[in-house]
Amino acid sequence: MKVYFRKNLLFWVTIAVLIFFFILSARGMPANEWVITLLRGLSVGSVTFLVASGFSLIFGLLDVLNLAHGTLFMIGAYIGWTVFVRPDTFVDLIPMAALLVSGFLLSGLWNELGKHLPAGGWTRILPWVGLLLASGLLVLVLPHYPVTGWDLQVYSQTPGTNAFMADQGLLVLPAAKPFENPPSLVLGGLLLASMLGAFGISLFNRSRVLAAGRLNWRQFVAFIIVLGAGLAVFLANDILTKFLTSINTSWLFLIAVLVATLSGVALGGLMESTLVRPLYSRPIYQLMLTLGLSAVGIEVVRAIWGRTEFIMPKPALFSGTGEGCPATSLGAWLQHQCSTFMLLDGRVRVYNEIFIPLVGILVLVAVWILLKRSRLGMIIRAGVQDRGMVEALGINVRRVFTLVFALGVGLAALGGILAAPSMGLSNTMGESLMINALIALAIGGLTSYPGAALGSLLVGLIQQIIIKYGAIGIPIPFTEIVFKPTPPLVPASTVLLMVIILLILPNGLLGRKE
Amino acid sequence: MDHLLEVQGIHTFIGQYHILQGVDVCVPRKSITAILGRNGAGKTTTLKSILGLTPPTKGKVVFDGREIQGMRSFDIATLGIGFVPENRAIFRDLSVEENLKIAERSKGDYARKQDMIFALFPDLKRLIALSGNNLSGGQQQMLAIARALVADNRLLLIDEPSEGLAPVLIESLMEAIRKLSAEATIVLVEQNFLVASQLAEFYIIIEEGRSVKDGKMNDLISDPDAIQRYLGAA
Repeated sequence: MKVYFRKNLLFWVTIAVLIFFFILSARGMPANEWVITLLRGLSVGSVTFLVASGFSLIFGLLDVLNLAHGTLFMIGAYIGWTVFVRPDTFVDLIPMAALLVSGFLLSGLWNELGKHLPAGGWTRILPWVGLLLASGLLVLVLPHYPVTGWDLQVYSQTPGTNAFMADQGLLVLPAAKPFENPPSLVLGGLLLASMLGAFGISLFNRSRVLAAGRLNWRQFVAFIIVLGAGLAVFLANDILTKFLTSINTSWLFLIAVLVATLSGVALGGLMESTLVRPLYSRPIYQLMLTLGLSAVGIEVVRAIWGRTEFIMPKPALFSGTGEGCPATSLGAWLQHQCSTFMLLDGRVRVYNEIFIPLVGILVLVAVWILLKRSRLGMIIRAGVQDRGMVEALGINVRRVFTLVFALGVGLAALGGILAAPSMGLSNTMGESLMINALIALAIGGLTSYPGAALGSLLVGLIQQIIIKYGAIGIPIPFTEIVFKPTPPLVPASTVLLMVIILLILPNGLLGRKE
Repeated sequence: MDHLLEVQGIHTFIGQYHILQGVDVCVPRKSITAILGRNGAGKTTTLKSILGLTPPTKGKVVFDGREIQGMRSFDIATLGIGFVPENRAIFRDLSVEENLKIAERSKGDYARKQDMIFALFPDLKRLIALSGNNLSGGQQQMLAIARALVADNRLLLIDEPSEGLAPVLIESLMEAIRKLSAEATIVLVEQNFLVASQLAEFYIIIEEGRSVKDGKMNDLISDPDAIQRYLGAA
């Protein structure tokens, strides 16, 4: 024990000083406001943590600095918003997504087919032909697939108006657009495009996977299930939309969170397996790729959801305002589902200041258990140190890479949809959060998972305390001056904290010396 | 003679450096073969090329009648090759038990091999809960070899097992490796000629990226000129 403290003396002194400052900060305000400020810090810290932990997992294992992480956070928010506010659009998109994915599930079949083709010569252009045909078919077919969406040009049908009306409970979903061409033709076209694309991509690494690529009944089952689910949703479109609009918005919010997170996982997996994988030995290219993807992501979001900021209504469980609110006890809160809660005579917003931190802690523990208790976690921890050795043990590290990338992006997307009801949606929501997350990681230690949590917490707390003191001012001792930190000092304060901590502990609070 | 592993004229580049320029290795089943040579001759690269960690650009690697060059490392390892690298590569963040469990290729490997491993390295049983970064050099070496034994490996590639160990430890390590050779075929890279000559039945000498001499260890021991010429030591 003694040795432990001597080794980590600097760390514990730093932590003690920080705790001392946080306690000191209570002197300027009433106790309830201090508690609320801390809760707000915890909330900001939780969202930051979701982005930072995913970023740090990816960086730790894959050595990829995913600069698009903030953008993926934003995309998660927008996807979740769509499910929550416009379930009809979401239902329309399910069959399309299912059909487009289904072809890629048959990778074993494509590999098998590829093996029977003669090598070299004219077959070398086949992958490109496959991709070209697939994209041509998509361009031809996609415009004929009707999606009931919003209209950025008509003010009454913009996402912003939709969100506002939904918040007031007045949103009337527009009538579903009918198919103008035979649906079987359009759906068949999508399926064919997906299969052609998957075949083309599988041909690209034909020469390398001679040993792998076995035909596998599980793939067929997955193919049938996904295709069947897509078609079922297509046939039951109206019923499903009605069902989603009729259920309690708390359940709808849960669905939105799941869909956003899973979309993040899918997007991450896709990104790693297609774009990042060829660039593992070229770090500069990775930076350029992820930076470029980040810009592309923002523009795509602008094209689909528009440039203007809009809100996301809170789910029913956290939006009650009527009689019995703000709630004074947990029972009363459950009964009235109030948006605020009285704590030490101060109003606490339940969603922002209690729900988000709870989810943050839950995810922290869940991922911690995954890392410490599962075989995947064991491989991740080992792979962070020595990838080559893990591979030499006969473990397919590449598949683990894809999983971790998907998991990391999924965490960011989860952060996005969680933050959306409190932050609102904007094209730039990812950027500021990404900077926060990077600072948090620098403070906590770049590849340390508990470090990401600690750093995020500190960043959140510092910011909220500075914001609070911006309102009440800090009296400077022995003078008449009352110092009020201005808004620009909020981000500056976190950078200052980072600088101080890095001067004392160059690897961050919990980082390891390399 | 029946060979478990046959390496035929492999060339390997690391970056732009042409490290291996034609290496042949023949490893008979259930034997210990030592790869000898001076520092930087390409011994470690030969092992890594067999495993596909530094894939050879030319030549053939045949394991148990199957050509494995160009396959991915984990596929090669899955065929039944265990690797004990030069730096031991113990996973610091994992406990000793996890370091062994991670090497499982099918469920229950560790439970099945536990007794055999602890009979070979009794010390490890005592250290089982310790984390990898708290082990001494000798303990790390034992763990690294034990890790290669968890899965059913027919071939063990062991790189510099005696490096940096006290003479007493080297003795017990040699004993363990000798016991292992009853079960598996072993390829040993060893700087310490004394250790190699006592363990190995066959040898291959690599010089400047080429295999220049091979044969039975007994013949080499009785040929001081060759030892002097290729290894610079008597």
